[in-house]
Amino acid sequence: MSDFIDLTSAAAESATYGADERDRMGFFTDTTLCIGCKACEVACKEWNRLPSDGYEFTGESYDNTKELSGNTWRHVAFVEQMEPERETGRWLMESDVCKHCTHAGCLDVCPTGAIIRTEFGTVVIQDDICNGCGYCVVACPFGVIGEKQEDHTMGKCTLCYDRLKVGEQPACAKACPTESIQYGVVDELRERAEKRLEKVQQKFEGAQLYLNDPNDGIGGGGSLFLLLDKPQVYGLPPNPIVPTKDLPQRWRTAGIAAAALFGAVVLCAVSRR
Amino acid sequence: MSEGYYGRPIVKPPAWTDLIPTYFFAGGLAGTAATLAFAERTARNDRLARTMILGAAAGCAVSAFCLIADLKKPERFVNMLRVVKPTSPMSVGVYIFSAFSGSVFIAAGSEVTGIARPAGRFFEAIAGLIGPVMSVYTAVLVGDTVMPAWYLPRKTLPGLFAATSAASAGAWGLLFASARDSGSARRLALVGGTAMVAILQALHHEIGPAQAQAYSQGEAGALARSARLLNIGGIVCAALGKNSNAISKIAGALLLAGGLTERFAVYRAGCASAKDPMYVLESQKASSASSRV
Repeated sequence: MSDFIDLTSAAAESATYGADERDRMGFFTDTTLCIGCKACEVACKEWNRLPSDGYEFTGESYDNTKELSGNTWRHVAFVEQMEPERETGRWLMESDVCKHCTHAGCLDVCPTGAIIRTEFGTVVIQDDICNGCGYCVVACPFGVIGEKQEDHTMGKCTLCYDRLKVGEQPACAKACPTESIQYGVVDELRERAEKRLEKVQQKFEGAQLYLNDPNDGIGGGGSLFLLLDKPQVYGLPPNPIVPTKDLPQRWRTAGIAAAALFGAVVLCAVSRR
Repeated sequence: MSEGYYGRPIVKPPAWTDLIPTYFFAGGLAGTAATLAFAERTARNDRLARTMILGAAAGCAVSAFCLIADLKKPERFVNMLRVVKPTSPMSVGVYIFSAFSGSVFIAAGSEVTGIARPAGRFFEAIAGLIGPVMSVYTAVLVGDTVMPAWYLPRKTLPGLFAATSAASAGAWGLLFASARDSGSARRLALVGGTAMVAILQALHHEIGPAQAQAYSQGEAGALARSARLLNIGGIVCAALGKNSNAISKIAGALLLAGGLTERFAVYRAGCASAKDPMYVLESQKASSASSRV
């Protein structure tokens, strides 16, 4: 913890909710169970009333969604790992989503306070506050956030904040037919993920958990993943780090540069011919 | 197809427009121009001080326009002022810019109209003291992102922004003050321009050859090479033009163009380092070796 700046404004911390604070909720996406049906993508679009990003045939396996965006909050990745003759191989599928980071870059840098930490420990953009400055887009180590073209604010997964409020589970988890997407208390999901990994590892050598370590560069995710190959194979960063981690150091260096600049100007002014 | 998932970006490039690098240029110029105005006023060179505080005002006006027009919802600009967030360099920057530009506009208004001279001088001093911070904070703003070309040059990027600002402010003085009055501006342009060229080399060294490709290839590389030519041309003219108004003005124009081009080069490098997943993967390979516990 001490590595991270604790200047975070009060509104950014779920601890400030007092009696209203709830267990931290999140996703465990077990990619070994994903069948690539995209029911999560559809359920998310429907519940959150998100418009289409347009249709383009990519030729990249069954993935024509391409990436998460302001209006696409679940994205199923399809990875074909075939032998050269394409007779044997495996087909990896992974439903990607916002990671609801413990140390969230988007939340740290948002200058309007539009991005908040909810009482469920999730990270949500309030679209009635967001002024579309776009800083969150470049502060996300996962490339999750994008502009919602129709109302020009920034968009990403809310972990169905409205459904959580009334005790429902997120739409994607509810729609997932194989329980590849599991919703629950993050601490319990972590344990469940560890147990599942033990089992899967016996059969798949490259199996690994992703974002389950509270000591990683984002303090662990509220969304955990069980992957069958390296994160980058699915388009995920192998060692994500919240950019604000070394912000105090950056300000110190900038302070030195500013002082040097001030000194240079004064020297130029006093050294008259 | 080469890296990662169908060669698709791992992080998203900025959703910003070219107004943002334009702001880095105008805001950087304004900051250092205000400091030079203050220094010249103190040294009783009122003519150059006047040129510089008006330059700072022009830079602030351009900056304010760029900052607001780039928002996807410009009418919600004031939402920036509803919180103070030390974790957000943009939030900190909004307050730096507000205090700075407010001071500059009062000082410049007083300079032009002759109204409330003591107050004008007071705010000119305030602007001069905030100026260097105004010029450099944008390096923290872009450094605090996941664009490898901005995130990785921790030590050199603030220096590059400071040097570019110094060169641009000096160039403004060369362009709009007479050669007789612009001695300090000339020295600042020479120091800033030279430092800019040198720090860019150091930046390439700091981030290593693989990451430096973001700065040397493609559009960013072409802009960087143009900027280098403009800056070296400007430095030579500034050094030779001591007694010539014409050569001084050419020096000023070249260095202003060089500074603006350099801002765009840095901006495009950041975008390029997001679009090709190689940069993120390479940087995280390196950091997983060193920063893992």
